[in-house]
Amino acid sequence: MPKTVERPDLQEAVSLDRPWITIVWDDPVNLMSYVAYVFRSYFGVTAEEAERLMLQVHNTGRAVVATGNREAMERHVEAMHGYGLWATLTRADS
Amino acid sequence: MQFEPSAEGRVSAHFELVEVGLLRLATSQLVELLEAADAPTPGTAADPALKRLLPDAYLDDPGAAAEFRRFTAGDLLDRKVLNAKVVLATLGEEPLDPISDEPDEALLHDAPDDAPLAIVLDPPDVQSWLRTLTDLRLTLAERLEIGPDGRPQREDEETPFLRDVYEWFGMVQESLVYAIDV
Repeated sequence: MPKTVERPDLQEAVSLDRPWITIVWDDPVNLMSYVAYVFRSYFGVTAEEAERLMLQVHNTGRAVVATGNREAMERHVEAMHGYGLWATLTRADS
Repeated sequence: MQFEPSAEGRVSAHFELVEVGLLRLATSQLVELLEAADAPTPGTAADPALKRLLPDAYLDDPGAAAEFRRFTAGDLLDRKVLNAKVVLATLGEEPLDPISDEPDEALLHDAPDDAPLAIVLDPPDVQSWLRTLTDLRLTLAERLEIGPDGRPQREDEETPFLRDVYEWFGMVQESLVYAIDV
C-alpha cells in the first residue's frame, strides 16, 4: 500500500505548479501602434487581444503577456528586449 | 515620406535626401554605441541608453538578472548591430563627393541631387527597420530625458532639433506598421 505523501513533498509539488509570467511594462517611448504590432506578430494573438493587452500596459503600467515555465518566459523576455519593449519575468504569485 | 504596400509583401516610400542623410547619420552613431558596448559585460556600462536597450530581466533578483544578461546580452547586441547595418544597406551608397572626380555630364543632367530617393523594403528589411527605429528612439529618449509623460526634461539649444528627429523617427515607424498591416 503506498505511503501517504508527506508535507514537504506536497510543498514541493505545489511549488512546481507555480508558473512563471512575462510582464511588459509601460514606457513613454514606444508607440501604441508598435506595441500592439509586436504582441500580434510575436505572440500570434488577434488584433483585438493585442489591442487589449497594449491598452492594459498603457493604462495600468503593465500587463502579463505570457505564462509558462521559466525557460519559455526567458525566451519571451529576450524576444521583447529584441523589439525594444521593457519586459521582465517573475513567479506568477510574487 | 509615407510607406505604402507594394508587390510581394514589400513596402516602399520616397525619402528626401536630407532625411536619408539624417537616418544614415543616426543609425551609424547607433552602431558605434552598440559596438562600443560589448566589453567587458554588455549593458553594464554607465550609459543609461544601453541600460534601456538591455534592461534587467528580473526586477527583484540581481543575481538572476546578471545571469540572464551574461547569456543574452551579447546576442541581443549582435542582432541590434545587424539590424542597424541592414537599415544602412537599404539606404544605399554614400553620396559621391561632387569634387573628388570629374563630373559625369549625363549624371549631372539626368539626376538632380535633390530628387527623393525611393526606398523599397522586403519583409526581413521591415523587421530590421522597426527594431532599429525603436533603438534609435530609446537612445534619443535618454538623451532628451523623456519623462513619464512623454515630454523632454532636458532644455538646451539642442533639444528642439533632437525632439524633431525623435518624433520623425516615430512617424516613420508608425507609417511602416500601418503599411505592413498584419
